[in-house]
Amino acid sequence: MKKILVIEDNPMVIKSLEFKLTKDGHEVLIAKDGREAMKFLKEASFDLILTDLMLPFVTGKEVISYIKKNSPKTPIIVLSTSTQENIIMDAFNMGVDDFITKPFSPNELSLRVKRFLNKA
Amino acid sequence: MNNTNASLQAAPTILLVESNISEQENFAHIALQQGWQLVICNSGIDAIHWFNKSNTADILVIEENSAPLNGYQTADYIKTELGLMLPVLITVGTVPTPQELRIMAFAEGLIKKPFVESATILQINEILERFPQKSPAEIDCYSLKYLRDIFEGHEESVFESLELFSTSVNTELEQLDIKLQVRDYNRIREIAHSIKPSFEMLENETGRSICHLLNSEAEETEMPGLIHDLQLEFASITRQLTRDFPALKIGV
Repeated sequence: MKKILVIEDNPMVIKSLEFKLTKDGHEVLIAKDGREAMKFLKEASFDLILTDLMLPFVTGKEVISYIKKNSPKTPIIVLSTSTQENIIMDAFNMGVDDFITKPFSPNELSLRVKRFLNKA
Repeated sequence: MNNTNASLQAAPTILLVESNISEQENFAHIALQQGWQLVICNSGIDAIHWFNKSNTADILVIEENSAPLNGYQTADYIKTELGLMLPVLITVGTVPTPQELRIMAFAEGLIKKPFVESATILQINEILERFPQKSPAEIDCYSLKYLRDIFEGHEESVFESLELFSTSVNTELEQLDIKLQVRDYNRIREIAHSIKPSFEMLENETGRSICHLLNSEAEETEMPGLIHDLQLEFASITRQLTRDFPALKIGV
């Protein structure tokens, strides 16, 4: 079972991601803000990370920077909204692997997640 | 109660509740020029009696301090008890009486008195565009299509999401008010970014658009109005959810 860390603060998005990813057979851990994410990242390793960029306490950019420094091979998918083009470009420049627009299409999420987990 | 323009059958019907004769005449003058069909009542109770006789209107314009039922109480009764979803504009003086959010949610907007022709026409036309003469049953504030898709028809998860929508967005809207008072505009943009997907998941275009504006191009001076509109839209959604699913733990 692959282990996925979801870093997201919207409870409805969290619930839908948790439902879909668990249904697809993955182990899912949820961090509701950047601070909680940093705690999880220091305690465990993950096969894939899905993260929002605008997070409370510690920003998505800081989280991505930490992952790239400490676990550079872990794929990162950014959960974005359509208003974040500049921020998404910055994230790509930091080395994130892909992005998914919220609210996501269930099939698209499954396919993209599967793609990166198969690579891992 | 009098109907001042009954011959214009195709024109929008506006029910005005106004006790001040001078303001009645002022509004009637504007209505006549615009070709609106105008019905005037002297109180909220008169308006309720008028609706009880199976009459319909496109907009209710009612004074804030109408007696014995004030404008918000009348709007509440008409929407909740009579089940009519027509838009309501509350007429106020220079300084509106502060109201709780859940009370304000019974109205779609405020209109200042004395009635100024240009502003009044603008506001009425804007409301007519937003509520294009649909019957109450046709006005849907939300859709469950996306949620049913993502949860693969698992109804319990869909309903849990609706409760999450109600509680989480309500909390964030309260935060928007607090942050507005301290002029923390960056935090307002962050909150709008955070709750935008919630409106999108219920396929509510108005809420999504307002969040988008707040998060992107809205000027600081526009934020109070946008936040107010977002709160009204949220109240409309939760009102419809409560009506459609009485067993859900939903409340503004």
